[in-house]
Amino acid sequence: MTRLLAALALACLLLPQAASAFTVTDQTGRRVVLPAPPARIVSLVPSVTETVFTIGAQDRLVGVTDFCDYPAAARQKPSVGGMISPSLEGIVALKPDLVVATTAGNRHETFDQLARLKIPVYLVNPVDASDVLDLIARLGRLTDRAEAADRVVAALRERIHAVSARVAGRPRPRVLYVLWPDPLIVPARGALVSELIALAGGDSVTADGGQGYPRYSMEAALARNPEVILIASHDATGSPLVRSKWERFTQVPAVSAGRLHTVDGNLMHRYGPRIVDGLEVLARLIHPEAFEKAVLR
Amino acid sequence: MTGPASASGARLAVLLVGLGLVVALVAIGALFLGSARVPPGDVLAVLTGRVKGVDQVVVLSLRLPRILAALLAGGALAVAGAGFQALTRNPLAEPSVLGVSSGAAFGVIVAQVFGLGTGLVEAVGIAACAFAGALVAGAAVYVIASRGGGLPVHTLLLAGVIVGIFFSSAITVLISVLDFDRLGGVVHWLLGNLGPIAPASLAVFAALTAVGLWLVVGQARPLNLLALGEESAQQLGVDAERLKRRVFAGAALLTSAVVAFVGPIGFVGLIVPQVLRMLLGPDNRLVIPAAVLGGGAFLLLADTLARNVVAPAELSVGVITAFCGAPFFVYLLRSRAPQAGL
Repeated sequence: MTRLLAALALACLLLPQAASAFTVTDQTGRRVVLPAPPARIVSLVPSVTETVFTIGAQDRLVGVTDFCDYPAAARQKPSVGGMISPSLEGIVALKPDLVVATTAGNRHETFDQLARLKIPVYLVNPVDASDVLDLIARLGRLTDRAEAADRVVAALRERIHAVSARVAGRPRPRVLYVLWPDPLIVPARGALVSELIALAGGDSVTADGGQGYPRYSMEAALARNPEVILIASHDATGSPLVRSKWERFTQVPAVSAGRLHTVDGNLMHRYGPRIVDGLEVLARLIHPEAFEKAVLR
Repeated sequence: MTGPASASGARLAVLLVGLGLVVALVAIGALFLGSARVPPGDVLAVLTGRVKGVDQVVVLSLRLPRILAALLAGGALAVAGAGFQALTRNPLAEPSVLGVSSGAAFGVIVAQVFGLGTGLVEAVGIAACAFAGALVAGAAVYVIASRGGGLPVHTLLLAGVIVGIFFSSAITVLISVLDFDRLGGVVHWLLGNLGPIAPASLAVFAALTAVGLWLVVGQARPLNLLALGEESAQQLGVDAERLKRRVFAGAALLTSAVVAFVGPIGFVGLIVPQVLRMLLGPDNRLVIPAAVLGGGAFLLLADTLARNVVAPAELSVGVITAFCGAPFFVYLLRSRAPQAGL
């Protein structure tokens, strides 16, 4: 009897410790120690929300932001507000055991406040396409959906390879990608879109102009004679009026050849699984000849 | 009376010709300079119609409309500044200092929230909203600052700052409920954006500016009399209330046209009239017409810098004018404002 009691006492002492073995390293290299695998996650990042749904871990998602609009079901989750100033009260009220946040888009003040409230924060900082795939796998391990996540990653990798194979060896058209039309803001060195354009077999004419997404000179962009112009659509900028503004420049090769297109910016700018959809869209617009039926066979 | 009037007429003519030459020089420089590095010979060839292609787009569709927009906006802001200064008898009054720019900017963003886009008719609607915002802000400043029929210099400035902060906060509220994706553009626009402007928009901008200039420039002489004090002006046959309403409407219209088409650009209305007054003396009959050309030349110079110093990236022109304007404001506050009766 005493032995049994002792064993029980020992077990009680050991159990929480055994459970506390759930330690992960987040994408920025920080160690995040959790009492158990997270079951109540708040995502402050739209692309993380997308990924969690894609790998089938949405049951663990208890809160999202106002900008988490994909998939449609994400809108059904309670929102904690915007990315820059989410409601701390809203987060606490959801009793999360983990908050996933990004170093690009959320604020450090938010991380510090959450730390003071003893709410563990998992930070992500994807920069390029391989980081996006890495993040999907990480989120899979975090939510006990590692196998599903690996399948997603494998399928995405295959599609990326398929695009590469399709465009390999073809001449690389000069591409001007317009993130914002007025003032002109473009993807430059280190921007995900620049990488996607390169993977899609194009040459971004603004890839050398500074870091990230700079404000750019319109004349410098046009002077490089872009052969394809892609305008990212947001709410306001996908309208025909924005297109007509560019259609005036008939001397530019892209315009005279009718290669002025509007693309869904959400596919190109969010570090989630849909970047591969974006890559396929880009490849079809940059190399339509590679996707004709005759080639497909 | 005819003697001094014709003498100042001759002086004005010389002045305008001189400033016209300055404008022409800056404009020629701006036409040849740019990140596309079109060789000077090719620029000339484009101008004579001998070269087509992308060089033609760069020179005729990008640089030329932008030069015209900068000249219009600079002239409008400088005259609006001169008008506000004469109206308030305050050397530091200026659209951005008085909060009128912020009011206009708020009007523009409200118009955009309600879905007004970039079409021509919509541009007129946006300008109307900007005008409404400018009027509300200007009236608010006047009501807050007026003390016993006068506008004490410091009170006016503080009222302007407060009204400006109020409308900036209102803009921040609107931006934070807007779609995240739209933020980038608005933030740049708030610093002044002399981008590629379509010919039709440029025409509307020019028409609105012309009306505003007509409202203010024609009142230079009565504004001189107003400088003697309202009572003296009345005795000399000036309908002071009517004059003030007219100049206020004109200056607000000029400010809101600039804000609607190129964004709120600060300090042009402060620097240009003040420099002209240092050079020419306080006579509004010289200062206000000269401000049309001087303001244009100054803003064009600032914009040519803005699009060349970090090429192929670009700065907001408002950053350059603020860099020049803020120290100048301090200088005026220390040296000129005491003379204005502080």
